[in-house]
Amino acid sequence: MSAATPTPSSGAGRLRRLVWALVRPVYEARWTALPPLTGAAMLAMLVGAVVVAPREAIEGEVQRIFYIHVPSAIAAYLAFFVVFVASIVVLLRSDLRFDAVARAAATVGVLFTALTLATGAIWGKPIWGTWWAWDARLTSTLVLLLIYSGYLLARSLSDDTDVRAARYAAVFAIIGFVDIPIINMSVRWWRTLHPDPIVTTLPGNQALPDSMLLVLMLGMVAVTLLTLWLLSLRAETERIGVEAAEMRARVDRIEAGGVRRGGEA
Amino acid sequence: MSAATAVLAKDLRLLWRQRAGWLSAAVFAAISVLTYSFALDLATGNVRPLLPGVLWVTFLFAGIIASGRSFAAEVEQGTFDALMVAPVSRTALYVAKVASNLLALLLIELAVLLLATILFNTALLTPELVAIMALGTLGYVSLTTLLSTLGSRVRSREVLMPVLALPLLVPLLIAAVRATGGALDLPTGGSPWLLLLAGVTVWSALGSALLFPLVAEQ
Repeated sequence: MSAATPTPSSGAGRLRRLVWALVRPVYEARWTALPPLTGAAMLAMLVGAVVVAPREAIEGEVQRIFYIHVPSAIAAYLAFFVVFVASIVVLLRSDLRFDAVARAAATVGVLFTALTLATGAIWGKPIWGTWWAWDARLTSTLVLLLIYSGYLLARSLSDDTDVRAARYAAVFAIIGFVDIPIINMSVRWWRTLHPDPIVTTLPGNQALPDSMLLVLMLGMVAVTLLTLWLLSLRAETERIGVEAAEMRARVDRIEAGGVRRGGEA
Repeated sequence: MSAATAVLAKDLRLLWRQRAGWLSAAVFAAISVLTYSFALDLATGNVRPLLPGVLWVTFLFAGIIASGRSFAAEVEQGTFDALMVAPVSRTALYVAKVASNLLALLLIELAVLLLATILFNTALLTPELVAIMALGTLGYVSLTTLLSTLGSRVRSREVLMPVLALPLLVPLLIAAVRATGGALDLPTGGSPWLLLLAGVTVWSALGSALLFPLVAEQ
C-alpha cells in the first residue's frame, strides 16, 4: 500500500490534503501498531471461540468454526473490494503502485476465500454429511476464488512493469467484481442449501445469544486487522518487486548501450 | 459511418484470411461433440438430459479459444497500434471485431448442431434453439473479445483465456444450459432462464463495449 501523495493543484487538492492529514498518522503507524494489535486480537478470538463461547446445542463443538468462517468470508469480500477500487485507479491514472496494491489484495482475498471454503467444508461434513455441495453460496464463493486466481495467474504471466497488461488485468478485476451479484443471483435461482444469515435478523427475534455474538464480533475485528496486516506486507513486497524489476531493466539497458550515459536511458 | 463499415470490412477480410485458425476451432468443436457422443453412449441410454451441457461446453471452449486470439493477432502484426491512431471510434473497432467473431462462431455452432442432430438422434436445428444459441454466443463473445486484449499481453494465452473467461461466464452458462433444456422439454426448475440469459447477454455486451475504449487507451 504505497503512499498516494496528493498533488496540490486543483480545488479538490485542499480536501485531499485534509483527508491525507487525517489518514497519514494511521497509515504510517501500520508497521509498528498492526503486528501487536493483530496478534492480541487473534489470541483473544481464539480464546473466545474455544473457551468463552457456549457449546452449540444441536451442532456441538464443530459450530465453533463459525467464528473464523464468517469473518474470513467478510475479509475476502473486503480484499476484493480493495482490488476493485485499486483497479479503477489503475485505469484512471495508469499508476503501477495501485496495480501492486490490487495484486496484493487479490492474493489476500484468494487466501481468505480458500480459508472460507476449507472451514465450510470441515463444518459441512458432520452437519450436511458431505464436504461439498453445489449450493448457491458455495458455488459463488468457488467462482470468486476462480476469478481472482485467474487474475493473479494473468498478472504473473505478464510483466510486472507492463502498464498495458496492468490496465487489461484491471478491467478483468472490475468485471469480476461487478459479476459477483449476478453470479449470486443466478446460482440462487439454481439451488440453495446454505443456512440463512442469522446475525442480521430483525432485533427482537435475534437468533444468536449475546456471548456468541460477542465472540463473532471479536473474530471480525481480529480477521480485519490480519487482512490489513497481510495486505500491507504483500503490497510492500509487490512494490519492491516492481522497483527491482525496473532497476534490473535499467541495468540491462545501460550494459547493452555500453558506457554511454548512466541514470536514464 | 463509412469508417465503421471500413473497419467491419477489414475484420471480415481478416476473418477470411485467418480461416485456418477458425477451421481448427471448428474441428475442435466437432471432435468435442464426437467424443461426448462416444463416451456418453457408453455410459447411458438416455443422453437427452445431457445435451444442453454437452452443447454449451463445446460452444464455450471452441469460442473462447478462437476469439481469444482476435486482438493478439493485431498486436503481433503491429496493426493494433495503427488502429489506435486511426480516426475511428474505439467502440466501432470493438463492435466490428465482435461482429466478425460472432459470424464465424455462429457458422461453427450451426455445424455443431447439425452434427449433434445426427449423432444424438434429436432434432436440434429448431428456430428456438438457434435463437438461444445466438443470444448466448453474443453474450460470451462480447466478453471474450474484450478479454483477448489481455491475452495479447501475456505468455501462454491459449491456456489462460478459458481460465479467465469461464468463471465470469458461469451465470451465462447456467442460464443458457437451462434455457436450452427448456427448449428440449427438460425440467428447468421454473425460473425465467431465457430472461436471465437475455439480461446477462445485454449486460455483457454493453459493459464490454463501454470498457473497451478505456482499455484501448495508452
